[in-house]
Amino acid sequence: MNELYRIMQARKDLKNKIKLIGIGSGNSDFEVNFFRKKYEVPFPLFSDEDYSIHKAVGEVRTPYFIGVRLKKDGSSEVFYSKLGGFKNADKFLELMVKLSGL
Amino acid sequence: MTRKNHIWIVGVLVIFVWIAAAHSQSPDFKKNIYPVEQLKPTDSVLKVKVGGLAPDFTLPAVRGGKVTLSQFRGKKNVVISFVPAAWTPVCSDQWPGYNITKEYFDQSNAILLGITVDNIPTLYAWTNQMCMGSGTLWFPVLSDFYPHGAVASKYGVLRSDGVSERSLFVIDKKGIIRYIDVHDINTRPKLEVLVGELQKLEK
Repeated sequence: MNELYRIMQARKDLKNKIKLIGIGSGNSDFEVNFFRKKYEVPFPLFSDEDYSIHKAVGEVRTPYFIGVRLKKDGSSEVFYSKLGGFKNADKFLELMVKLSGL
Repeated sequence: MTRKNHIWIVGVLVIFVWIAAAHSQSPDFKKNIYPVEQLKPTDSVLKVKVGGLAPDFTLPAVRGGKVTLSQFRGKKNVVISFVPAAWTPVCSDQWPGYNITKEYFDQSNAILLGITVDNIPTLYAWTNQMCMGSGTLWFPVLSDFYPHGAVASKYGVLRSDGVSERSLFVIDKKGIIRYIDVHDINTRPKLEVLVGELQKLEK
């Protein structure tokens, strides 16, 4: 994940066009901060202590990725929603760019 | 999120990270976690108290050999984590959480003993699968299987259906119980509470 973020940051064509955030379902701020520090996570992580976000997206198992396209009119559209991590950050980012239509 | 005028599409990638979350198990477990309905929060009567001597016990460990509580007397503080059962949702997240936070235990010169009423082969399979993505567990996992739940019963955390409560006991180097949390079985204890208790101990 950290590598994905670094690649995203380095790509000038994607600057300010794609953001990455992480959500720790069921985790307290303390737990999320521990995780951020231990694994040197450079992108924003949020706690979801009461599982409200987790419930809203359908109680997924983790890691789970959701790609959301934010449209100009304020609406949004999910273009990717899948359980499981990835092995190759470059390929994953390419897939995201392709599916999102960026 | 702020959007500048010249950008008309902003993508957001949201990843749900796994730290030690109940109900959102690691994919390591695939589909092997047995779904459990909401249970009565606690279902036993505690037989020990803070300030009292922790009852001694000897139990077989998954990695072989036996572990006796009093072997740590004068050497290490001890945290006992009873969890209800292998292959159930919350337990399958609680221990991986402790597994990545070993430094908090080290800082307080504490060992963690994980105990369930399951037998050794079940615990072997469960802990192996628990750790597929993250190496091995650093703490001993003990089986309180036979006589069934004897240690859980000694502490007063054996529920009427034969599983133990989700409970934490912090025991100092003198063998005195310093903290007890018989937790709501349906939820995972927060890490910061245990860390706070560990930090109160003498090393």
